[in-house]
Amino acid sequence: MREALARAGGTAARGTVRRFAPQPVAKPFARSRVVEGSAIAALDVGAPVPAPEGVGFVDGIQQYVVDGHIGLTPVVRAYVDAAVLERRAGVLHCAARAGDEFLVVPGARLAARQRDALEAIGLPLRDSDPGPRAHPLVDLWAATQVIEQRRTACEIAAARDFLAARPGAWLFVDGGVSGLARLAGAGRAVGIVKEHETQFLDGPDLEVALTLPAGSRSSVFARSGGGAETHSWYLRLWPWPEEDLLHGLTRIERLAGAVTPAEAHMVSRWLLAERTPIAAPDQRWDRLIYPMHEVETYLRAHAGGWS
Amino acid sequence: MIGRVLATELLPASPQQFHFWTAIDTAIGIGAIVRVDGADRTAYGVVLDARAYSDLAAPLHDVVASEGDPAAAAPPTRRTEIRLWTAAVLRHEPEEPLQPVPLAAVRLASPDDVTVALRMDAYVRGAAPTAIPVGLYAAGGMRAPVFLDADFLLGPESAHLNINGVSGLATKTSAMMFLLNAVFQHFPAAKGRIAAVCFNVKGPDLCFLDQAADLTTQDGEMYAALDVRPEPFGRVRLFAPFKPDGVNLNTLRSHAALTDAVEPLVWGLREVLDYSEVLLNRDDIDAKADAFLDFLADRVVGKAFTDEWGTHHRVESFADLERLFRAIFDGLEAAGGRDMWRTHHVATIRKVRNRLMNISTRCKGLVTDDTTGSDLPFGAFEDRAVYVVDVAGVDQLGQDLVFTRVVSKLREHLERRDLGVEFVVVFVDELNKYAPADGPETYVRKMLLDISERGRYLGLVLFGAQQFRSQVHRRVVGNAGTTVYGRMDMDELATPGYQILSPATKSKLATLPKGELMVRHPHFTQPVFVRFPRPAALAGRQGVERFPPEADVPFADAVVRQLTALDRRVAPSRVKDLIAGRREEDVRRALLATRRARPQDVLAFFAAGLGAAVRREPVAERPAAVTPIRHVDDPYAP
Repeated sequence: MREALARAGGTAARGTVRRFAPQPVAKPFARSRVVEGSAIAALDVGAPVPAPEGVGFVDGIQQYVVDGHIGLTPVVRAYVDAAVLERRAGVLHCAARAGDEFLVVPGARLAARQRDALEAIGLPLRDSDPGPRAHPLVDLWAATQVIEQRRTACEIAAARDFLAARPGAWLFVDGGVSGLARLAGAGRAVGIVKEHETQFLDGPDLEVALTLPAGSRSSVFARSGGGAETHSWYLRLWPWPEEDLLHGLTRIERLAGAVTPAEAHMVSRWLLAERTPIAAPDQRWDRLIYPMHEVETYLRAHAGGWS
Repeated sequence: MIGRVLATELLPASPQQFHFWTAIDTAIGIGAIVRVDGADRTAYGVVLDARAYSDLAAPLHDVVASEGDPAAAAPPTRRTEIRLWTAAVLRHEPEEPLQPVPLAAVRLASPDDVTVALRMDAYVRGAAPTAIPVGLYAAGGMRAPVFLDADFLLGPESAHLNINGVSGLATKTSAMMFLLNAVFQHFPAAKGRIAAVCFNVKGPDLCFLDQAADLTTQDGEMYAALDVRPEPFGRVRLFAPFKPDGVNLNTLRSHAALTDAVEPLVWGLREVLDYSEVLLNRDDIDAKADAFLDFLADRVVGKAFTDEWGTHHRVESFADLERLFRAIFDGLEAAGGRDMWRTHHVATIRKVRNRLMNISTRCKGLVTDDTTGSDLPFGAFEDRAVYVVDVAGVDQLGQDLVFTRVVSKLREHLERRDLGVEFVVVFVDELNKYAPADGPETYVRKMLLDISERGRYLGLVLFGAQQFRSQVHRRVVGNAGTTVYGRMDMDELATPGYQILSPATKSKLATLPKGELMVRHPHFTQPVFVRFPRPAALAGRQGVERFPPEADVPFADAVVRQLTALDRRVAPSRVKDLIAGRREEDVRRALLATRRARPQDVLAFFAAGLGAAVRREPVAERPAAVTPIRHVDDPYAP
């Protein structure tokens, strides 16, 4: 097979045996336009360079438990927490933090008496979408939407505090940066997107982006629709041959207007330097940089045995 | 606060052990004493072990991250690390009910905490403290004196001290001298008078205990912190046998400025005969030899004795004894080759004679032909005095004899309560030589076992030192209530006797710097590391540099030197005139008597001891009794 693939101009993968079909992708495609040159190209970014002193890393966690049901209505208790760890002399310290613990229920389905009983617990009560009728899985999914929103809000709050307290400091964000658009200093935020469910490129541009060699980035392209406009480029942290197309591939995101080709190179080199230490044994180690992994570890340690 | 106690299912906190973590740059280390305050109890512990690890799950991850290049640029983020410490509990407050250590904040122990943790409060404070400073505990920039309990160091509760460590690095002798000084300064007068007998078995180690050493400022500070005056021993008497010439003392303390403090150690036949067992090896010890020795001791030595052939004997010296043996052998020979004399077989007599005469040859200088010797002042020991017995230049047999007799005499006098002091510390270095773990049973080893097991009831305390504890009889080291360890050899640490120590403690012991010791004491539930200052008394090596030993001098000059040491007014020319033409044995006898008596008029006493001079008669030369062989022309003739 390997020889046949080579003869056909293909690339062999490790060939991991899989037994389950992947989940359907909610939004597989989106539009974009190339803003660096006329077409997507693979650009060698050069040697890794450590990010400036005082850089921050923001991430959040969420945990929830179904505490019970009122009739068919699930009562979900959630815990979200977000933090910015600032790196000084190679050591990470917490610079900003925001968290919350609350109940999530489809409030429209509850009687006033039932709602009062839940509020008496002392935790904030947040409403989830009641939907047209009860469905155990859909109700739970609706609750998790609320939880994720709250986690995102905590991440934004922590990012806001950090950017305000450290003028000039860069902030790496786990995920996109469009949610930070209204924050002062959001131009210093760099999103690291590890998931590639939505493809913004097509045809030869997509092939160039998904077959980038390690240490290279794609040209910058603008992503439009769904919030503030952002500029993105793909960056390959680790070689993909023998793995798969998405191995070591990240999409770097910044608010539109905040990025120049030179800056894209600089930020890419910073991220290449973050390949060590490695975030293994986390299964996302090829795209998850260690400081971000540490933010998760920090938050999970604080969550302790929450339940 | 320096850390927090942690407990997991795999690393639980128990009543005897707990774990805690600290910042990476913590000041504590192995041996540090810490305090944990729970809601209703406090636990004190000593750090026994330490581990550090990061969140690196597998070594291969580091290789992957660095792309196989160990020299790759340093990672921008340091991995999260932990400093995880394991501590053994020293004490709980309250002691009952005994419970696990609380999962609470960990603090470095203060000096007061150290006192409580090591249970020293029972004897440091109170109306009649019995604390003897042994060194300074230090951790995290804090220092606290550590004390031993005199009742457990010198008896009667427990007693004896054993110190262990490699030569040259463990500072065993220095530690012993510092501790002895501390004992002399802090032993409560109300408990009795105390003295020390130190056997100097190698080089000049203990020859200058009365001379002040050069101390550094740091030493001075340590002395102040330990409340010990940095002074050499105030009362030191050094005893050494003569060299075979019988007049030059067999010691490295022979510098002219110091010889007046050295006294001869010389024994006569009676002293040796009482300890003849030392001279007999295992094969010799039989009922026949014993019976003959008893016969000599009971019926012959020191008494008028007439043999079967009519010769009158009065055996007071080895020479007298030799004359008796000669008379016996000649008598038996003349009687037709009889092989029995007074129920004793001639072979037994010959064996005993050989052993006894052997000592006078091998230990010439220690053993005298005189009827009386020069000995330690048994019965007149002084409080806080050190009696150094320098046997470094004596062969093993002589060392055994000296050791056995001195210790036996100490024991006899302590039993009778007439030694002059109530407690005697006996310091013996190279204990592995005198009480080896294996090998034949010797009289010396039996004696050391006896001191170890019963000495504390008498006030006879053994301070022993050796390189390898595993090579000393386990009942000797096992009976030492207090054990001190200096720098240790890794091979020794691998022996079963050290299994109770943690690997980190062993590692620390193997790299212990000079001046640091690990101490085990009955009150301490775990060993504790302490530092001690250099002794205030001059060490042997510095002693011989400051007071270089003088070369042996001719017989007449040696006599002059000894007499002038007793009285500086003695004119050397007068002494030489007095001894000119005298037999050396007579001069030695008179000299010894003078030294023993220490008279007001040294020269007059010495002259009287010499007695009247016997004029030498010229003897006419006799003609040759044998006619010279006439020369023959023999090519084979010599």
